[in-house]
Amino acid sequence: MIEVEHLTKHYPGVHAVRDVSFSVKTGEVVGFLGPNGAGKSTTMRILAGYISPTGGVVNIGGLDVTRDSLKIRRQLGYLPESCPLYMDMRVKEYLRYRGQLKGIPGRHLKARVERVMAQCGLDEVRRRSIGKLSKGFRQRVGIADALVHDPDLLILDEPTIGLDPNQIVHIRTLIQELAQDHTILLSTHILSEVEATCDRVIVLQQGEIVESAGLDELEARWCKVSNVHVEARCPPEALKELCRGVEGLRDCKVVADDAWSIAELTFARGEDPRETLFQQIREKGWDLRELHREKRSLEEVFVNMTSGNGPMLPVQDPPVQDPPVQDPPVQDPPVQDPPAPMEAAP
Amino acid sequence: MKVWLTLWKREVASIFFSPVAYILTTMFLAVMGVGFWSIASYRLTDGATIYEVLRGLYGGVAWFAVLMVIPVLTMRSFADEKRSGTLESLLTAPVTDAEVVLAKYFGLLTVYAVMWMPTLAYILILNHMNDAQANLDTGALSGAYLGIMLIGGFFLSIGLFCSSLTENVIVASITTFAIIGLIFLFGFLPEVSPIPALQNFSKPFSPVLHMLDFARGIVDTRPVVLYVTGTIFMLVTTVSVLDSRRWRS
Repeated sequence: MIEVEHLTKHYPGVHAVRDVSFSVKTGEVVGFLGPNGAGKSTTMRILAGYISPTGGVVNIGGLDVTRDSLKIRRQLGYLPESCPLYMDMRVKEYLRYRGQLKGIPGRHLKARVERVMAQCGLDEVRRRSIGKLSKGFRQRVGIADALVHDPDLLILDEPTIGLDPNQIVHIRTLIQELAQDHTILLSTHILSEVEATCDRVIVLQQGEIVESAGLDELEARWCKVSNVHVEARCPPEALKELCRGVEGLRDCKVVADDAWSIAELTFARGEDPRETLFQQIREKGWDLRELHREKRSLEEVFVNMTSGNGPMLPVQDPPVQDPPVQDPPVQDPPVQDPPAPMEAAP
Repeated sequence: MKVWLTLWKREVASIFFSPVAYILTTMFLAVMGVGFWSIASYRLTDGATIYEVLRGLYGGVAWFAVLMVIPVLTMRSFADEKRSGTLESLLTAPVTDAEVVLAKYFGLLTVYAVMWMPTLAYILILNHMNDAQANLDTGALSGAYLGIMLIGGFFLSIGLFCSSLTENVIVASITTFAIIGLIFLFGFLPEVSPIPALQNFSKPFSPVLHMLDFARGIVDTRPVVLYVTGTIFMLVTTVSVLDSRRWRS
């Protein structure tokens, strides 16, 4: 659906986007993630035909975004950042106007407007003036506007920014519904949103793609350690001793909780010592009330990727699916050293 | 064309749904009304002809109204959409920049024409006061309104252009006022300039003289061509300004 190759956008003195390449397949929901000023909005504006790229090729549905912009715009629903609307218009009136503008034939217009109002939960406010609506409703009007001409592709720039948690849940549910029959590219800096709605994430940092991967893959690549949580009924020293014996351990913290000992273990990424731990604890005859591997949230991954001055390099070692059982011992984890920050200059 | 009509309707509606249009129309009609009253009551009792009244009204008082109304009328058209960000949703809809500029321009022209409509009542009043004299010269009247629309149309395109340059409506209106004010003052050069060469040069470009001619019913093609091409030039420039967003910061 979207093919972007070597996309570059310069502003005087600033490289807003540099040499960005990615693609979005039909039916996919892709999240654009990045801190403010990373080039998310610029890229989306180029896709929507509002500004032109300085260099590179952007194809949407096989059409070139600079040459066939009008044709593309008929097939594309775009919600600009901060959701600009005409505050003096009423909801239904605005959607009718936008529908006409997007070339919906008169005989279908009414049905389309009714449909998107129902879809976006705008029926109760159809006659209200947009200026008097809450932020959440305005956002829905913006999404309804993007949807009104039934486009195949939706580009939503920060659809949940500035909303309260309830409104965010509403918009998110709406996006999940839309994902069933639309290709969606959305941008956000709220990570849970990406986790909740997207199949894939593209992380931008200072105008460059730092990462583009499915969520699992991303986690696998960016989480450098795996954490295991153990709670067993035994003295803390004994548990510590037992854990030390497990291969691949990098760090071990044990605290006592009455008769129980709680251990937070850090293993090299890819290690899964749960089975070993369970067997050894069973051999000792201790009671076990909890043993689990902690899932790293995308939040941590994101902080890892975009923290500091520049993006961090991911650790280039085998993926998590086939955990090498004979990993380097505790003492020397050379690959898992803190990665060097990448230079910002190209 | 259908899309264009949608845009035009929205433009006209947006002006009429704002209080600015009503305040402006009221002020405009007040200026014109007082002007008409003073000219008609004083000049007609002096024994001045109906032509002199028309020239005083459309070649004189009308200037104040035009110079006051046009900057305020045009200031919001692009500046406000830029400030609120709606320009982005407008220009990412499947419409061309030229369609948007033309729709906005003709929307302004429509509102401008509607503002002038009540002044047609003055003619009925003049007719009533003057039943002793010959009937009003329709040529002079249509000339006067043609001039009002031509010069007003040109000034509106300047206002639209200024509005496309900034996000600030105040800046847009002041710039428009400065430019059309200078053009108006330039119109006095043929009368006031001490240099004969400058007098001769400025004469064909003087909107003040043109308006006086129009109000007499003299429709010369030269000023018509001047204002129409001037308007087209400003509209094309506005489209370019709009297009420049693609490569500017």
